[in-house]
Amino acid sequence: MTRQSQRADAPFVAQCVRTDARVATTTANEVVNFYRRRQQLMDTDIEWVTAEHRAVSQAPTSGGVVHVLRDLDDDFQSGVPLGILAAAMSKQGQTVKDTLADVHDVRMDGSLWEPRSDHLRPV
Amino acid sequence: MVNGDVVYEAKTTRMTRWNQLNDDVEAVSSDITDETNALPAKYFTSSEIHELEKEKIFGRYWVYAGHANAITEPGAYFTRTVGDRQVIIVRGHDDEIRAFFNVCAHRGSKMVEDTPMTDPENMGRIRCPYHMWSYDLDGDLESTPQSFEEAGLNPDLSDDEVCGMDASENSLSEVETDRIGPFVFLNFAQDPMPLAEQAGTLKSELEAMPLGEYEHAARYVSEVECNWKTFAGNYSECDHCHANHQDWITDIELAESELEVNDYHWILHYTHDEDVEDEMRIHDEHEAKFYYFWPNFTVNMYGTADGYGTYIIDPIDEGRFQLIADYYFSDEEMTDAEQEFVQTSRQLQEEDFELVERQYEGLKSGALAQAQLGPNEHTVHRLHRLAQEAYEA
Repeated sequence: MTRQSQRADAPFVAQCVRTDARVATTTANEVVNFYRRRQQLMDTDIEWVTAEHRAVSQAPTSGGVVHVLRDLDDDFQSGVPLGILAAAMSKQGQTVKDTLADVHDVRMDGSLWEPRSDHLRPV
Repeated sequence: MVNGDVVYEAKTTRMTRWNQLNDDVEAVSSDITDETNALPAKYFTSSEIHELEKEKIFGRYWVYAGHANAITEPGAYFTRTVGDRQVIIVRGHDDEIRAFFNVCAHRGSKMVEDTPMTDPENMGRIRCPYHMWSYDLDGDLESTPQSFEEAGLNPDLSDDEVCGMDASENSLSEVETDRIGPFVFLNFAQDPMPLAEQAGTLKSELEAMPLGEYEHAARYVSEVECNWKTFAGNYSECDHCHANHQDWITDIELAESELEVNDYHWILHYTHDEDVEDEMRIHDEHEAKFYYFWPNFTVNMYGTADGYGTYIIDPIDEGRFQLIADYYFSDEEMTDAEQEFVQTSRQLQEEDFELVERQYEGLKSGALAQAQLGPNEHTVHRLHRLAQEAYEA
């Protein structure tokens, strides 16, 4: 494919489970934005195709979002990008929607905080 | 040279306006034979123009909201985001469809979650989750919690000093709506021109067809990396079809096709090579008819399917847009033939996405100051003229 949005050199690639439409970006958080834009237009979910980032490749393959967030936290001084966390959770079979729902739950119980928008740190 | 009522004089040759040679751009000429017959490139690539368009275009003209068949019961609703504004489109107990800003009259909270037209929800009343203000489906304030009727926490006020909340004076902010058949449109302007005036003959032409009898069958949303007007221009002409849509044009007689321009809409009439059975069309004419309605809505009457499609061309920013493609057939469960038809339509879209992203890469490079349009790109000329009129308004 030659479409700019599907270039092979983009480190983060994800696709819509309902239509297979893909997004290929240089930042993991753009995948989250892609999910949110699509959610306004159709009830769907986004699954990861590739996420080429050292932190993601070294992230644990078990444990909940707080456990994974604690593991990633050392690599990101001003918060773990939500998209990086979502990509890391995909190693456990989670979609973007799954991870965002889990993040919402643990935010609401005070287990993590958001030092800036869409960047997370464990409490 | 004569085009409609306009008489053009033959011009001398035109010169490309490259930036390094001649960066002197001009407004889009009303004369398509002029050298400056297209929008300057900056209107496609500037973030300031994207911001300007939110008000001057999407805040001023009628914009498609969604299909009335999606909300047939009282209380059924969906949300639609246009630029920075989000509205709730809801069917009332009186069967009327209304639109309200998704903003509470109390302290401005967003009230309902994003709810796509394809997955509508139903509510008995519109309730803000922040302080539980509730509105009826007409938008009037229905109730507030007890804490808004007494001042128990405020030692400086007694309960009888608390003024009550008048329902009609604290209603939701309603957005103008009107319809063309089942298509619901919004207008954010204070005193907009009537939809019938903006639509012109498009309204009667579409309303003559039984569009409301068809069900939503499929939606495809594609994010494309170019300005929305780049795609709009591509949709509006078929000079590129011979070289780039070779599968599709095998059944089309391009030489006999015609592009018809009106004030705020244009129609692309594509004549089929061979006659198609009447059952395979909604409209009478033996042709495909693609309607572009300014600013960003199309109705696609394919001519070879008992159904139709719509496109919404929604900008994300100056360099990206979403194409929201909806397909309507007699039943929401598509037949094999209808699925194959949709696949053909998707092929056309992907071919066009490749073209417009290539065009946009070129435009973004800054090499070209102002493009130029050919004589058969008069629909694109209309698009560019309308954009310019909007910027100047």
